[in-house]
Amino acid sequence: MEWLVSACFGVMIACGVYLVLRARTFPVILGLTLMGYAVNLFLFLTGRLHTNLPDIISPDQTRYADPLPQALVLTAIVIGFAMIAFLVVLSLRALGELDTDHVDGQQEKPPA
Amino acid sequence: MTNLLILPILLPMVFAVLTILFRTHHRHANTMAIIGAVLHLFVSCLLMAAVLDRKVISLWVGSWPSPAGISLVADYLGAIMVLVTAVLHTAVVVYARIDITVRQIQSGFYPFMLLLTAAICGAFLTGDLFNLYVWFEVMLMTSFGIMVMENPAGRLTNAVKYVTLNLVSTMVLLTGIGLLYGLTGTLNLADLHDKAARVENTALLTSTALMLMTAFGIKAALFPLFFWLPASYHTLPASVAAFFGGMLTKVGVYALIRLFTLVFVTQTHITHTALMIAGILTMVSGVVTAASQMDIRRILSFHIISQVGYMVLGLSVLTPLALAAALIFMVHNIIAKANLFLVGGLMHRVTGSFHLTQMGSLYKTHGLLSLAFFIPAFSLAGFPPLSGFWGKLLIIYACLESRHYLSAALAALVGLLTLFSMVKIWSEAFWKPSPRSDTTPAGEKLSFWSLAPVLCLCLFTVLLGLFIEPVLQLALVAGEQLLNPAAYILAVKGGG
Amino acid sequence: MKTPLPPIERVPDCCRGGLVSSILPLLLFGLLCLAWPRVVQGNIFAVQWAWVPSLDLDLAFRLDGLGLLFGLIITMTGFFVSLYASSYMAGHQQLGRFFFYLHGFMLAMLGIVLSDNLFLLFIFWEATTILSFLLIGFDHHKTAARESARQALLITGGGGLFLLMGILLLKIAGESMTISHWAASGDMIRDHALYPAVFICILMGAMTKSAQVPFHFWLPNAMTAPTPISAFLHAATMVKAGIYLLMRFHPLLGGTSLWMATLVIIGGTTALWGAIQALGPCDLKRILAYTTLMALGVLTLFLGGRTVLSLTAAATFLMVHALYKAALFLAVGSIDHQTGTRNLDHLGGLVKSMPLTALAVAAATMSMAGFPLFFGFIGKEIMYEGALAEDMFPVFATVATLFANSLMTAVAAIIFITPFMGFGRQKMDPVKEAPWTMRLGPAVMGLLGIVFGIMPEWVSAHLIQPAVFSFQPDREEIRLVFFHGINLPLVLSILTLTLGSVIYRYRTFLRHRMNTAIDRLWITTPGLYQSGLDNFLRNAGIFTNTIQNGSLHFYLFIIILTLVMAVGWVWLPHVPGILIFPVISGPLIAIGLFAFILASTGVVVFAKKRLSAIGGLGGVGAGVALTFMIFGAPDIALTQLLVETLTLIFISLVLLRLPPMDAVKKRSRSRTIRDACLSLVAGLLLTTLMMGILQVPLDRNLTAFFEANSYIAAHGRNIVNVILVDFRSLDTLGEICVVVLAAWASVTLIRRTKEG
Repeated sequence: MEWLVSACFGVMIACGVYLVLRARTFPVILGLTLMGYAVNLFLFLTGRLHTNLPDIISPDQTRYADPLPQALVLTAIVIGFAMIAFLVVLSLRALGELDTDHVDGQQEKPPA
Repeated sequence: MTNLLILPILLPMVFAVLTILFRTHHRHANTMAIIGAVLHLFVSCLLMAAVLDRKVISLWVGSWPSPAGISLVADYLGAIMVLVTAVLHTAVVVYARIDITVRQIQSGFYPFMLLLTAAICGAFLTGDLFNLYVWFEVMLMTSFGIMVMENPAGRLTNAVKYVTLNLVSTMVLLTGIGLLYGLTGTLNLADLHDKAARVENTALLTSTALMLMTAFGIKAALFPLFFWLPASYHTLPASVAAFFGGMLTKVGVYALIRLFTLVFVTQTHITHTALMIAGILTMVSGVVTAASQMDIRRILSFHIISQVGYMVLGLSVLTPLALAAALIFMVHNIIAKANLFLVGGLMHRVTGSFHLTQMGSLYKTHGLLSLAFFIPAFSLAGFPPLSGFWGKLLIIYACLESRHYLSAALAALVGLLTLFSMVKIWSEAFWKPSPRSDTTPAGEKLSFWSLAPVLCLCLFTVLLGLFIEPVLQLALVAGEQLLNPAAYILAVKGGG
Repeated sequence: MKTPLPPIERVPDCCRGGLVSSILPLLLFGLLCLAWPRVVQGNIFAVQWAWVPSLDLDLAFRLDGLGLLFGLIITMTGFFVSLYASSYMAGHQQLGRFFFYLHGFMLAMLGIVLSDNLFLLFIFWEATTILSFLLIGFDHHKTAARESARQALLITGGGGLFLLMGILLLKIAGESMTISHWAASGDMIRDHALYPAVFICILMGAMTKSAQVPFHFWLPNAMTAPTPISAFLHAATMVKAGIYLLMRFHPLLGGTSLWMATLVIIGGTTALWGAIQALGPCDLKRILAYTTLMALGVLTLFLGGRTVLSLTAAATFLMVHALYKAALFLAVGSIDHQTGTRNLDHLGGLVKSMPLTALAVAAATMSMAGFPLFFGFIGKEIMYEGALAEDMFPVFATVATLFANSLMTAVAAIIFITPFMGFGRQKMDPVKEAPWTMRLGPAVMGLLGIVFGIMPEWVSAHLIQPAVFSFQPDREEIRLVFFHGINLPLVLSILTLTLGSVIYRYRTFLRHRMNTAIDRLWITTPGLYQSGLDNFLRNAGIFTNTIQNGSLHFYLFIIILTLVMAVGWVWLPHVPGILIFPVISGPLIAIGLFAFILASTGVVVFAKKRLSAIGGLGGVGAGVALTFMIFGAPDIALTQLLVETLTLIFISLVLLRLPPMDAVKKRSRSRTIRDACLSLVAGLLLTTLMMGILQVPLDRNLTAFFEANSYIAAHGRNIVNVILVDFRSLDTLGEICVVVLAAWASVTLIRRTKEG
């Protein structure tokens, strides 16, 4: 299972990187979101994989999953969302001003 | 006593809220911001005094013991950085009185600046890696916000690039933090010092170190990660550019210094060699690119990079002297570089341009402005007895002492090329006859509010140069403290 | 073309300030004179205050014989130059700045020669560099002045960096920073492994400052400065700083074959090259500049020796030169000022209109040429004695000195005869003599040339010998005498005068030959400097445009590539070990979930339509949320779902505004492949890193703490929530800040959109 989840993370990162490298507004946003998801997943999993160990204190439970990564993930999700949302607004604005969706603000030169 | 530690963070936040209330009355907003900045400066001085008294002070936020809760720690390095931040912030806020438009104030310039200051101080004072990430994000968000305020059309693409690159660096940073947590099970920097030393899988630890190095390297604008910086900084209002140029990269450098003296100290043959290579390349590439520029803000932006290289070089040598050198260089550089950006803004005010070919005759018409440029510029180029001289001297000395002769020689060469750029600005903007016909009156007279902060920063540069001995003593102790973090760790664990 | 200042006859009223300011050097000169007798007796004045003890930098000043010699020269010329400038520069707009820089410079020079601490000396050294920059560029409206100022600054500043490195190496080698302690410790450093490096660094500092070949070219170019500055900086003081440095370092570094060979060769070359080039130009100031080069070369050559004789020769010639050169510069300035030109071709017959200046120039040139009765003659005698006594290359030294001196004689003749005796090519307007402030300096210094020439014993005992003894511990008495009797030096002196007259006779021919020859040189250092600078700037421009091409793709690619390389460098060797035997196991639901995430990710990348890409992203987000759910974090799962929904809505907003996908050009195949490879490597690295982490046992200290304290101390059952709101509340504060700021910044942007 570790192998699988790692591969899953790796693929998400790879795809995110690929999309960000497209250098167009839309794929860049998709890619950053995707990478964000992947990193959140990763942070979460640094507390290792456990099933059925919820972090709610109860007398019946003797072992708990590591709660700290979960707290970190919650923070990271919210911050990441704020960032992405801002980027979206910014891109929209840039789009309106420049009339191109290329992130450099200009059309690429045709490949030589 | 230790509650003092939270004040440099909370105070600007409180004043941020106050300035929000006043944002429609721009004069009041400015006054309020100045009051906030001065109080912040006062608190920072108190903090410095407390650190001088007790070497390290630490605070368990919410009284939760370290490493479970977040600790705030001020050692010499942290306290000095907070103090410098406060000095610069005060100067910039005063300068902003003439530099920032009413529209920008209404869009919330002052709250953003104050929160930025709070976040920077948070980054300098936190003893927790994840908390450091959070402060970096606050810094980023405020810098985004300030960048898009009243920015003329077409400049938004720069903002898009800036945001995108910084988001990528954030991902890298978070991944690095996750890796480190997964390896050690802690986020507390002092705790990490012990735990990282005990990690068996050194390859994994070193990979993590390099990943974090890259993440903070993007923030600190190391070669080849700095490409975003010049395009972003040179379109900002002078006061903002001064604060960004002075502070933002230095927070990255600070993070590198902190991590690579406290946490990643076992595999120095890899990590610190990498830092040294990065430092040298940064130093050289920054100064070479600056030489070809004619826009004063771009020249200054590239020099930011070059000088970050010096600091990282100092870090990579990893002796008390080298760390002291890096620290002194950083303090000097923050003030001098920000001052140059402010002076650049005034030069623009007088001549109507940032481009060297369009400027001239300032030496003749604006004597005080010439002085205000001359001092930080030649300090940057490392002329004695200005502050930059000591930074340069100590870096070269530390390199020579550790037998890094090539690094020392390159550091000297970069000093010469810095001189080249500064002389170019001086020669073109101040000495050259104005390219415009002499019939037009020479710009506006500069007001007290515009020159006062600039001259105060000049004074700082001169005084720092003249009274270097106590500073050097302090920096040497700070360097020792960084290399022997026992006191730091003890303070964090004891919460006092 | 230069616009001459109006000729003046009387001391103008507007220059009283300058006149007053010349009191400062006079005062200092007086003070030095007061100390003089005691220094001659061997007393030494020293004061010391601590400044930067951590670096062994003290404010230590010490007046010994050498310092006195230099100090007298500096303050005396300083006085005459101030006096002179008060008339010469009268009416200039920036007179205040001029005198500020000039006197600042003088004080810095005094600082150099009086410092007893090497760091302190260096600080004054750099101060002279920067002040000379401001002074050379004083006529800053002229492009040439700005260029020369920059050139001088870069060359001497670069030398300063070498000097700094030399000083630091010396300190690292364990040498004291107190100059007066050196006499005892020379052997230690001369045997030290760092000696060659120290020597080269110090030498570079001295060579650049004292304009030795190949760094000589800034000196003639610096003649764009106003004449008082040239007289002060480039004849009498600043260029001598390098010589002073070599003298001071002599007991410490001198006497080795490396030192002797290098200095003799460099000095000899500079002397010859300077003397030859002095024949070339028609501009009187340039001629003087080249003769200064020659003098500096000769001084260096003699400092290469280690006998008292050759060092005495250096000290004597230093004085000789300072006297006649400052006088000549000032006189040439007067000529320039009164006639409006200093071009040899245009000058002539001035002896009638400017008789006093003519007398002074006559005295100075006679001294320069080395006629008997003049101080220059004494200097020349001792020079030949010294050259013959060199330890290394005595023949080269003697021949170089001989030729240089002969050329000097010829040049001296040119300088005096052409403007004063000959007839101007053009009819000259009636010329008036300069005011007394401008005549006093040349006259007094010319006179001193004669006085010292007649009573060399006194000079020797009161100036030269104390100076030499302070850097040459062998207290061997070398007396300068009026007449030595007939010996080899006398023969050489006579030969010099003869040769000089021959050269003067054929000067036009030689000048022509020389100029063509110099033009034909395929490599010259000024040319190298210029082309080096041009090349550097061009390549810097290319480099900048390459790395600053404005393409986000490029920036991102480099950043990710750097990350991959940095991490991969360490981690890649371990990847195969991690990747062996991947086992797909685990609960079926988890496997299914991961398969779903993978599939959705694929959709995001490969979707042909943007809507399907968004759909894919939604799938990924939902999959991640489900993962959180399965692995025991329902809170996060909920948050993730919420955030994901919002994100999707935002992204769909973008979608509405985008140009259609067809309008987007296809990018090149090679770029796609490059990007894909980089992404794959990044993915591979992160996958393996994560697997590495998952194989390490988790340190559960913190978990234990949270378990124990969450309910009891923080009163919350949900540990994660307790961490967020209590244990790590500072994070949450920051998080709230980010969200609020993001909202505000977005509103600012959106409002712009509406108003824009």
